[in-house]
Amino acid sequence: MSSLELKDIVKNYGAFEALKGVSCAVEPGEFVVLVGPSGCGKSTLLRSIAGLESISSGEIVIGGADVVGREPADRGVAMVFQNYALYPHMTVAQNMGFALKMAGRSRGEIDQAVKRAAEILRITPQLDRKPKALSGGQKQRVAIGRAITRSPDVFLFDEPLSNLDAALRSQMRIELGRLHDELRATIIYVTHDQTEAMTLADRIVVMNDGHFAQIGSPLELYNRPANRFVAGFLGSPRMNFFNAAVVSADPANITVRVEGAGDDLVLPRNGDAALEAGGRIMIGIRPEAFALGAEDGLTFAGIARVVENLGRETLLYLDCPDLKTVDSESQEGYVAVQQSSQFTGRHGERFSFGVSADAFFVFDGDGNTVRFPSSTISSQ
Amino acid sequence: MSNRATLLLGVSYGFMSLWSLFVMAPVALMLAAAFKSKRAIFLDPLGFPDNLNFDAFQRAWDTGMNVFLLNSAIVTVASVAVIVLCSGMAAYVLARSPSRMMQLIYLLIVAGFAVPVQAVLVPLFQMISAAGLLNSRLAIILPYAAYGIPFTTILFYAFFLDFPRELEEAARLDGCGKISIFFRIIVPLSGPAIASAAIFQTVFIWNEFVLALLMLTSPSLKTLPVGILQLQAEWTADWPAIMAGLSIAVVPVLIIFVAAQKYFVRSLAGLGK
Amino acid sequence: MTPDNRPNDRQQRDRRVVSSRLATLLLLLPALGLCAVFIFIPATLAIAGSLFEIGISFSNWRFVGFDNYVRVFNDAVFWIALRNNLIIVVGSIVLQVGGGTLLATLLDRGLPRYSTVYRTIIFAPMVISTVAIALIWLMILDPNTGALVAAMRVVGFPMPRLGWLGDPNIAIWTILVIAAWQYTGFMMVLILAGLQGISRDLYEAAALDGAKGMRAFWYITLPSIRNVVLVAILITTIGGIKVFDLVFATTQGGPANSTQVLGTYIYLQAFNLGNMGYANAISVVLLVFAVILGWAQLRATRRA
Repeated sequence: MSSLELKDIVKNYGAFEALKGVSCAVEPGEFVVLVGPSGCGKSTLLRSIAGLESISSGEIVIGGADVVGREPADRGVAMVFQNYALYPHMTVAQNMGFALKMAGRSRGEIDQAVKRAAEILRITPQLDRKPKALSGGQKQRVAIGRAITRSPDVFLFDEPLSNLDAALRSQMRIELGRLHDELRATIIYVTHDQTEAMTLADRIVVMNDGHFAQIGSPLELYNRPANRFVAGFLGSPRMNFFNAAVVSADPANITVRVEGAGDDLVLPRNGDAALEAGGRIMIGIRPEAFALGAEDGLTFAGIARVVENLGRETLLYLDCPDLKTVDSESQEGYVAVQQSSQFTGRHGERFSFGVSADAFFVFDGDGNTVRFPSSTISSQ
Repeated sequence: MSNRATLLLGVSYGFMSLWSLFVMAPVALMLAAAFKSKRAIFLDPLGFPDNLNFDAFQRAWDTGMNVFLLNSAIVTVASVAVIVLCSGMAAYVLARSPSRMMQLIYLLIVAGFAVPVQAVLVPLFQMISAAGLLNSRLAIILPYAAYGIPFTTILFYAFFLDFPRELEEAARLDGCGKISIFFRIIVPLSGPAIASAAIFQTVFIWNEFVLALLMLTSPSLKTLPVGILQLQAEWTADWPAIMAGLSIAVVPVLIIFVAAQKYFVRSLAGLGK
Repeated sequence: MTPDNRPNDRQQRDRRVVSSRLATLLLLLPALGLCAVFIFIPATLAIAGSLFEIGISFSNWRFVGFDNYVRVFNDAVFWIALRNNLIIVVGSIVLQVGGGTLLATLLDRGLPRYSTVYRTIIFAPMVISTVAIALIWLMILDPNTGALVAAMRVVGFPMPRLGWLGDPNIAIWTILVIAAWQYTGFMMVLILAGLQGISRDLYEAAALDGAKGMRAFWYITLPSIRNVVLVAILITTIGGIKVFDLVFATTQGGPANSTQVLGTYIYLQAFNLGNMGYANAISVVLLVFAVILGWAQLRATRRA
């Protein structure tokens, strides 16, 4: 039995459809991350599961029962808020025990649960302090501790790390991973940070415009994005997209003309049977697929406008005279290139990179992926 | 510093000092008169009292100042408590309900702000009289509460709009309903707004005159402003006793005001915002 | 999920809606009830009662239509009262708001030290009961034993023969000055809060643009506190329309009705002469003024 099952959830705000009928099932102990651009409906969905928003139609099944009519406190969920939402007038221990107190549990039971959660989170010394006296990371732990004391069926996290600075964020990320292993808790986690999504999730749900664009494991989504939205959303810098057209197609090969490129490219068919001559398509290339000086496939020669030396990797933004990206990292149509090595080049210099046709993603006119790079593992 | 700036500074201090003197002089004269004998005030109204003469205070206190003081305190505390509680509860519900109906109710309560008590004296007197409440504390506590509610509701409404929603959502997840959220989460965190509202209403109710004049005729129930006026009517020209009575009423308020002037000023300046 | 579970869920949902509605009602009702019983019903009764002749026993109401209003508009004392309200409104705007602005400006920019002391002293009368203030001034202005008379005798300044509150031509102006004594500090504090809300950066930017001193006051300060001043004017106007305590405790509307205001005249007609219906008609006039001004004040406040 699933811990949480969403069945065709619809949420309308007047004429605006925030959730357009989404469904999925979450297994016990699974860590599911909801990602998507702002306004995609991920927070609305999380708040609907919590019962803070009412849904227009659909079912939310937690622990075998439809909880749609229930109060937030009676749904078997606990939530960790973006701004922690700790009660400033209560001590840490009172904050963590408040839900049990409201549920009418005995003092001993409450103390027990608070003590246990505090030990797991290593905040026992802070139990008698008020939230104002805590650091950001400690507040975050208390917020999580408050959820743990309730021992809910499902934990809900609403962008919990977005208020922390970068160093603390990666530390808490690791901590969250440890907690998940330790508690074997079912977690639904909303974030706009793809690093959090990639590192924490068992499964990622990419949301766009009130839909689930794709559900899958992090690598599956990265390697085999179902559509151009997912392909562009995961990965930083973004995938480079180029407009292209199918010049000719036969059962064995298709010939593709990339806008701005000198020569047509012949690609062997690879599950892309639907493509026909004359169709408008898009080519997608990950920044890490570029090989310096390579000659095969598509070649990109241009001036490096920006060179970002990050130590363990280098990012270049290449200004090619005719080959321009669309809807990609750079507004000016520069090509984003990542090299997993240090690089002596400076901006203003000329470089040439090649990308083998094997590394192309191909998207049809509707944005669906019709061909994946042949080199990647298909983790199914 | 240039001559012109020095001159400006001198004029500024001069003007402020003059106005302060104008403000302080009547209070000083009140205190001086309270310590004088009837004869001394007639012969030398301007001078300082020769010696500290507490006779006038004794007369004032015995005529009922002690009772008036207590009455005012009871009425003020009760009214302010009702105002703060009722306004807080209503403002919370209204600030959290986007429905048209609730917006209309809010506007209705706000409209009550515009109705002056002077304009409804007759029907109010008739109603209280018909209810048999004349000469009871309720006859002024309830109207005081009602007339304090609109403004206090507006004040709390603005405060609650800015109150972090996440705390209330967390409380809902922790099992609180509307009422327990209000009393367990909102009230403990609304100290500044409550203090501000309470100070504001205390100043007005402590000094309220017309309703108290109308509703309370029994000397044992009269509040300070009405009681003081009665003193004056009883003792035409016994200025020392009247001023001693006034001093008893005014000096404690002034001391509290000076001690907490920051909060008074902030609370009353809030009217402009 | 089996279909027969659903009615159960619906019940649960209904119960939740009902309990939430009940809580809303419970929280809202005390405030709404008090306002209804002591503000809205009396206001309605005042309007309705203005169409009746009501004796002091108020058991016998006799419908007289608009007769009370006809009487009001032919009543010389009503017009004196209205004129006096107007004098107090306009005079208070000049003295209290004007004086308050001047004092606030000096406090905000002019005085490097002791500004809190000055502010506390000048604001203090606001917390004193108006009746107490009236009595203090009655003593000071007493034509025989008053301190002012004594002081003026020393200087040789001529005094009105009937006293400052006893001369029908002077009394209302004396009341105006006492009101200013009480409330100018309040206006000062109100406007000071507005002044302190102006960012210092604005003055520095203006100084760089060549506006200092009077010009900075004209181009930066005044536009920035325009709304606060408007609210101050409205508060003063409403206070002037509603004035009662000060007049009642100093002159009771006398001598010869020369200081009568709407509030005291309503009280006189209703509770001394027993003309409750007639008093209601005057009340409605007062109510109309107050509602219009109160509405204006709320609009101005919200914009601030």
